[in-house]
Amino acid sequence: MTAMNRLFLLAGLALLIAGCGNGGGSRDPAAAGQKVYRHSMDQAPVSIDPLQGATVYSNFVILNVYDTLYSYRYLARPYELTTNLATSMPQVSEDGLTYTISIRPGVHFVDDEAFPDGAGREVTADDFVYSMKRHFDPNFISQGAWVWQGRIRGLDEWKEAGSNYAVEIPGLKAIDPHTIQIVLNKPFPQLVHTLTMGFSAVVPREAVEHYGKEFSIRPVGSGPFRLERFDTARAVLVKNPRYRGEPVDLAALGYDASLHDGLGLEAIEGRTPPFVDRVDINFVTEDAARWNSFSKGNEIQFAKIPTEQFDAVLSSKTPPTMRPELVDRYNMLDLVAPEVIFNTFNMDFEEFGYSDDPEREARNHALRCAMVKAFDWEQRSERFYNGIAKIFPGIIPPAVPEYDPDMSRESVTRDLEAARKLLADAGWTPENLPELTYGVAASVKQRQLFEQFRGFMTEIGYPAEKIILKQYATFGDISKAWKLSQLPFITKSWGLDYPDAENVLQLYYGPNGSPGSNDANFANAEYDRLYEQSAVMQPGLERTTIYRKMNQILVDSCVSMMGLSRTNLLMWHDDVIAYPDRNIVGGFWLKYVDLREQSGS
Amino acid sequence: MELLQYAIRKLVSGIPLILGVTFISFVLMVYFGPDKTYELLGKNPTQEQIEQVRHQLGYDRPFLVRYGDYLRELTTLDFGHSDSTGERVNGLLGRTIPISLALTAPGFVLGNLLGVLLALVAAYHRGGWIDKLIMGGAVVGMSISFLIAIIAFQLLFSSSYGLNMFPVRGWDVYSLSDYVRYVTVPTLATVFVALGYNTRFYRAVIVEEMTRDHVRTARAFGTPPWKLLYKNILKNSLIPIITRIMFSIPLVVISGSLLIESYFGIPGVGKVTYDAITTGDQPVLKAVVGLTAVLFVLTLLLTDILYKVVDPRVSLK
Repeated sequence: MTAMNRLFLLAGLALLIAGCGNGGGSRDPAAAGQKVYRHSMDQAPVSIDPLQGATVYSNFVILNVYDTLYSYRYLARPYELTTNLATSMPQVSEDGLTYTISIRPGVHFVDDEAFPDGAGREVTADDFVYSMKRHFDPNFISQGAWVWQGRIRGLDEWKEAGSNYAVEIPGLKAIDPHTIQIVLNKPFPQLVHTLTMGFSAVVPREAVEHYGKEFSIRPVGSGPFRLERFDTARAVLVKNPRYRGEPVDLAALGYDASLHDGLGLEAIEGRTPPFVDRVDINFVTEDAARWNSFSKGNEIQFAKIPTEQFDAVLSSKTPPTMRPELVDRYNMLDLVAPEVIFNTFNMDFEEFGYSDDPEREARNHALRCAMVKAFDWEQRSERFYNGIAKIFPGIIPPAVPEYDPDMSRESVTRDLEAARKLLADAGWTPENLPELTYGVAASVKQRQLFEQFRGFMTEIGYPAEKIILKQYATFGDISKAWKLSQLPFITKSWGLDYPDAENVLQLYYGPNGSPGSNDANFANAEYDRLYEQSAVMQPGLERTTIYRKMNQILVDSCVSMMGLSRTNLLMWHDDVIAYPDRNIVGGFWLKYVDLREQSGS
Repeated sequence: MELLQYAIRKLVSGIPLILGVTFISFVLMVYFGPDKTYELLGKNPTQEQIEQVRHQLGYDRPFLVRYGDYLRELTTLDFGHSDSTGERVNGLLGRTIPISLALTAPGFVLGNLLGVLLALVAAYHRGGWIDKLIMGGAVVGMSISFLIAIIAFQLLFSSSYGLNMFPVRGWDVYSLSDYVRYVTVPTLATVFVALGYNTRFYRAVIVEEMTRDHVRTARAFGTPPWKLLYKNILKNSLIPIITRIMFSIPLVVISGSLLIESYFGIPGVGKVTYDAITTGDQPVLKAVVGLTAVLFVLTLLLTDILYKVVDPRVSLK
């Protein structure tokens, strides 16, 4: 072998060896007797910085490595708030403006080189204040600032004055190391819900400054787990040995034997979480690969069932029932997602929306209502969501307590004859119907959804050539088009941030128009008045009545075709003890996961 | 000395190539690529927040200033931080490129070695049933999409519906046996598809060489088949073979294999590159494009040197 050949060989071996290393992990932990739970998600989070916790995927990891003041009870449905880092629910002043929150003493961040001696220090009220201020610091990019924008006294002004952390904010203070005071500009009944969100997670300033931009992949929190590894394929969480776990009281977590029997949850009663040593969260975008790994038996233990496997898994769709031969090996849960899938007109466009000419405006209203009547939600569910999606009138989905099961279903019931009559009465003909640009982020499924939509509309005489598909290369591109009000028709889904209908009703609040969340640019004085009235009200019958009135205004105005919530089918191996509902609860449940004795390998 | 002079000349002449590639790709990134602003914004942004994010991303700076920064980054090999994850780009590529290399190297080497071997056999039996069999197999390999091959091989070798011999996903590699366990099925899928293209190409090259006078003469003198194939044909066919192999290397190193990585859960550079393209993560894209261009220039140089090694008649002047 020549010297040159040897050199090539050595270089090749060096590269292969470098590729074989996997970033500081250890040998197979399950073989070493550790309890390992292998979870899967259908997308990967991009960042684990609470500032960027906007997706369910980021939020899932954030809630397991950081602490929030509050969380949701693991098993209680409808969703109920409970304490997390806070010792009790907040003390609220009579005017509903001042919240005083005590946090647990003796809670520590994980050990990390960011701290002077490498040992995690105690979490204090100042850390919470710092974490909230970060959202309003223009040196950072926050996806969560909108949640508290204009709500906390002095916070927006602090930002305008240059975001000096040494300056105290009147509405956001640490009264002592374990007491936080928040003062609002006006009542914000959803405040405690927002303090369960990953956005509000408590971070240490030392780590933010030590890691700089890489803080987004090197989280330093006080949650039940510590992040050991994070890449495009997987996040590995290991148990935080200093986690302040408290023994499980199943009744307090919302356990109901009639609902949760058979899941093995009784085994965690009285024990202190987290119960597993390690969680591997696998990011598997391809349905086929996820199913192959799940059904293999010794790889991922949890998966959302891909649509194409429904027939192999279910013996019946309504209600979803698992095939008898699978019952001994798997558990299954069917959950209606807390979301709204809807199509909306952009009222900024005179062709369909508002017009200075009252006659044109009336004709546009008729046109929108005809198109709403032509849209077939049942077929949409059948073709794209296996016929098990939940269809509901209006924008308030079944996942929130303000949902009205008795609301008229006329707006989600197809009526071609009435639609054609509306068009004819308003003088619409195939010749004078306006062109409709239907924008989507390019994908095969979006194309199929478009074709189905166009098919529905042609049945009321809308010429197919007048319904034009406009494809955008990425989500960012179409999001830009929405924010800049460039599309007359928008197809969208909105995942609820908290279980309160306010979160979806704000989608039509006038001042939230583009570039805000009101992509429809809906502007209705009565609606806005009701929104402002209800926004400061505590939950109750009176507020629910107002919410429902607003919902009816939306239906009557035919601003959108709404709506649908998908039903997700979740499966997990029988040796996993869990109730893996990530809806609203986010990733809080992961600390309660345990494995039966034979598992973990 | 001649080699050194040639190398310097070649590297200097590569500079306009790098400038051209980086400039065109930067124009595409800036004016035609995805706008990252709207991915980073919250659900209910204000115009002020939009401006703030654009400023942080540097979108509000003049194009030429940004391009100048890009060239400076390329010369210092410091591409800053990913706009998506915040991770240092150098760290990101340093972590993922070796994994992709370890993943694709066996398939790349085997695909080419077997391709050459099968091409030699097919060419030697040109027109006979062995040739037809090999070429038929090559057409099958070329006709099946890589995606289908991956799904089929995963199902066949890794899943509980098939032989269940290898893992479906993962890259927990701590030893050679771990490595073999994780790399086998991706390699089989890669070889299956690559073999078709390689065999057909190499066969055409070898068949052409077989018609040369010196081969006919060697045959007439009774040279044994293996010797004829190796010494008289293969050695003289090496120039196009080397060209094909060498110019595949930059793509193997930098681009990885998106499909393999996605389906087998392997954290390589292919997925990183794909995500950067689809989300408009310019720091990562700049690094990938710039390094690929540099690697191509180096490959051009190395290829020329290899030409000289395999054929002493080639001059480097």
